Amino acid sequence: MKGHILAVAGKLLAAGAVAAYLSGCASSADPHAMAVTDTPAAAGTTVKPFPAPLMHAMCVRNVTGGEKTNPLWVSKVDNDGFKSALDTSMTSAGLTATDAAACAYPVDVNLLGLSQPSMGFDMTVTSHVNYKVFNSSSEPFLLATIDAPFTATMSDAFMGVERLKKANEGSIRASISMFFDKLKDSEPK
Amino acid sequence: MGFGDVHSKVLMLACALVVSGCAARQVTPVSMSQPGDDRLSCDALKAQTAANSAAEAGYRYKDKQVENGNALKTVGSAAPFVGPLIAGSTDLSNEEQVKARALADRNDELNYLAKRKGC
Repeated sequence: MKGHILAVAGKLLAAGAVAAYLSGCASSADPHAMAVTDTPAAAGTTVKPFPAPLMHAMCVRNVTGGEKTNPLWVSKVDNDGFKSALDTSMTSAGLTATDAAACAYPVDVNLLGLSQPSMGFDMTVTSHVNYKVFNSSSEPFLLATIDAPFTATMSDAFMGVERLKKANEGSIRASISMFFDKLKDSEPK
Repeated sequence: MGFGDVHSKVLMLACALVVSGCAARQVTPVSMSQPGDDRLSCDALKAQTAANSAAEAGYRYKDKQVENGNALKTVGSAAPFVGPLIAGSTDLSNEEQVKARALADRNDELNYLAKRKGC
């Protein structure tokens, strides 16, 4: 009887250790991993340029709606991380103004939220983001509501918390990329 | 087939069901800007703003309920055997939060249009 109880306790401890190893601690999404730093053209095509007035004339003014990550819970995207990723992406694309005074087209971002799975092998996260671009008269010239899904698989990361973090980062990267596409189609006034 | 085999298979089936059924729900927030916005009359803008505000309040209330439910499930996830099942039922879709915030932004745009029209 005593041996049976010890065996069960041993199995439970082992299961707990495996669960703890697999779950780990959650960490915030990495701003560098969320940034869009290259837009390679598909073979035989050219990358559509941004409208000329936007070049070196934009800046990220406000980012709201992000959430800090609780290490004991799941990975999230915070405001500073998103702002850093968008700043890096816009600088890489040649959109960022050289100084604040030259910023004719400020961008406000509201991170509506992330739709995340609670568990799974392939984890798909969809970010929901509102981008508001204003002109120098403080009138909105582009309002974009973007839902961007991204799936991270077991080959991206074995541990669940890390896989979810990668799905978050991929989703924000996809969102910024889709925002750039909208900017390319816009007609700034 | 012994009891242990059946037990293992039931457990594996339960895990498979949990893992496959934990994808986030599809959430579609309302867009800030919509086709035909410029043609909305002052009355239409006012009516849409009021309807959005009511819907937003409803979503904010539901969001609090989901948050409270998730907090309980987090505690329950530590329970032996059924813990993973409880953890798998946690709702991380943020549907109510996303929809409420989208409606607030939509109303900002409607208020801007109303102001521009001199309503």
